[in-house]
Amino acid sequence: MSVFKSVPFWMILPSFLLTFFIIGYPILDLSYTSLQEVSRFGLLRGFNGIQNYVEVLNDPLFVASAWRTLIWTVSVVVGTILISLPVALMLNEDFAGRGLARIIIMLPWSISLTMTAVVWRWGLNGRAGLLNATLMDVGLIDQPIEWLATATLAFTVEILVGILVSIPFTSTIFLGGLSSLPQDAYEAARVDGATRWEQFRYITLPLMKPFMNIAVVLNVIYVFNSLPIIWVMTEGGPANGTDILVTYLYKLAFRFGQIGKASAISLAMFFILFIFTLLYVWLVMRNENDGDDEDVGVEENEVVQ
Amino acid sequence: MTPRAKRSILYWLLMSPLMIAILFPFGVMFVTAFRPREELWVYPPTWSFSEFRWLNFVEMWDKVNFGQALINSLYVSITSTLLALLIGIPAAYALSRFRFKGKGLYRQFLLVTQMMSPIVLVLGLFRLMVYFGLVNSPNSLVFTYAAFNLAFTIWMLQSYFSTIPRELEEAAKIDGASSFISLTKIFLPLAVPAMAVTAIFTFINSWNEFVLALTMLRSQESYTLTVMVFAQVAGRYQVEWHHVMAATLLATVPVAILFSWLQRYMVRGMAIGAVK
Repeated sequence: MSVFKSVPFWMILPSFLLTFFIIGYPILDLSYTSLQEVSRFGLLRGFNGIQNYVEVLNDPLFVASAWRTLIWTVSVVVGTILISLPVALMLNEDFAGRGLARIIIMLPWSISLTMTAVVWRWGLNGRAGLLNATLMDVGLIDQPIEWLATATLAFTVEILVGILVSIPFTSTIFLGGLSSLPQDAYEAARVDGATRWEQFRYITLPLMKPFMNIAVVLNVIYVFNSLPIIWVMTEGGPANGTDILVTYLYKLAFRFGQIGKASAISLAMFFILFIFTLLYVWLVMRNENDGDDEDVGVEENEVVQ
Repeated sequence: MTPRAKRSILYWLLMSPLMIAILFPFGVMFVTAFRPREELWVYPPTWSFSEFRWLNFVEMWDKVNFGQALINSLYVSITSTLLALLIGIPAAYALSRFRFKGKGLYRQFLLVTQMMSPIVLVLGLFRLMVYFGLVNSPNSLVFTYAAFNLAFTIWMLQSYFSTIPRELEEAAKIDGASSFISLTKIFLPLAVPAMAVTAIFTFINSWNEFVLALTMLRSQESYTLTVMVFAQVAGRYQVEWHHVMAATLLATVPVAILFSWLQRYMVRGMAIGAVK
């Protein structure tokens, strides 16, 4: 067999085996388990078809978590994009203290989500939290607010923290995109008397579209899967009021011992994730192919003229 | 005023609300970590406090077993990074230097694995580690972190390797050097900076990971820093917040400084690696 004599084959093999095993085996195991009746202690008691899936779909907590996951993902991703684009546009231009500004904006990225969430949990404390201290000092509120005691308020706060920690990564993608834009397009536009808004609307925005797509898809994947913020700040509470799919899944698997149901949810989430991943792969590969022929900006130039 | 000065003021003003929100948790961390215990719950809440209580850090170190958690975090992050590099370097080299069948397919496979998040697989991984008897062992994390970081490592390395001119190695071969010599004497020295940057990002990823560590590590002696800090907060009636914040401060600030310093490489890696 010629493939066994091929050098790149042997160079790639170890990386393939490790990832395939660590990611492939759990998927097989979850698929199998999700079709079994499982005892509280993880013992398989025999095939029971799609019973676990039926139970999951009839579970009101699952349905509520699924809806909340949708709200969580859409709000965090939209909020992140809306803030990150102007931030990246500003950071891409020359102004005093730009280096410092960039470091500050990127800071949340360097710290584990767990630690950030722990600090916010204390900062939002209903009695002694320093957010309350700040708001009382500037006279916005007279009394401390219990930020994490009611589900709606807690979930809103968690969404805002989610946006905050997603901005650095998203801005970085946009900055990478902005630095690759062809400068001659802007010169041509200026010669033709285009205003700054027109330059943004007809050059920057269309050329940034591939990066926008990638930022949206990657953020959807990350936010959809993000456990630490909600797990640390409220653990899905009060009364399951801030549970999203991942926190609910984690509770089922490691607190309530409902392994069968938890496997079914894991697998369903895996398929959702897989669809978004294929979308991402398709976007990346399409960009790479575009990169081969150099004239990405041509059509957009014509729009300006 | 020059246009640049005007722009500077405008931009800083526009970004200031965001920056305040970003810096707020750091303020909370500092102020609480140094605050005397009896001033934690004063009413009305306030930022000010009477003295810098350095003793908080000393007490915290013993009480939460910080040293052990630090050692565990270092062990897991360093070993998994080395494993990822050891396996990732040959793969990245093959992808940047050889043309072969299935190369595109393999890169797509890597992208897919990069997007697979531990949380979706965590139950299956836990059962896998039970099977191997690795639950509660830091080594369970070494293998999983290395696997989950491989895609990133290979993509990042490959994009840097491709910028090292192939002609250098070919010239060495023409001068009579063997493939092995040209690899170790010409290519690897040039690739060291790229490997260092990639290693540090992999290290930070492992250092910050939460879900797998929370699941696999079951006793206090094996906790990494993230799980240790979480354990001080979760399900406790009384939380010693000054200790928690002191621990968070010690665990995060060195990594934050390292990351800030390397952040420009990330922009570059992102531009050529992940996106382009």
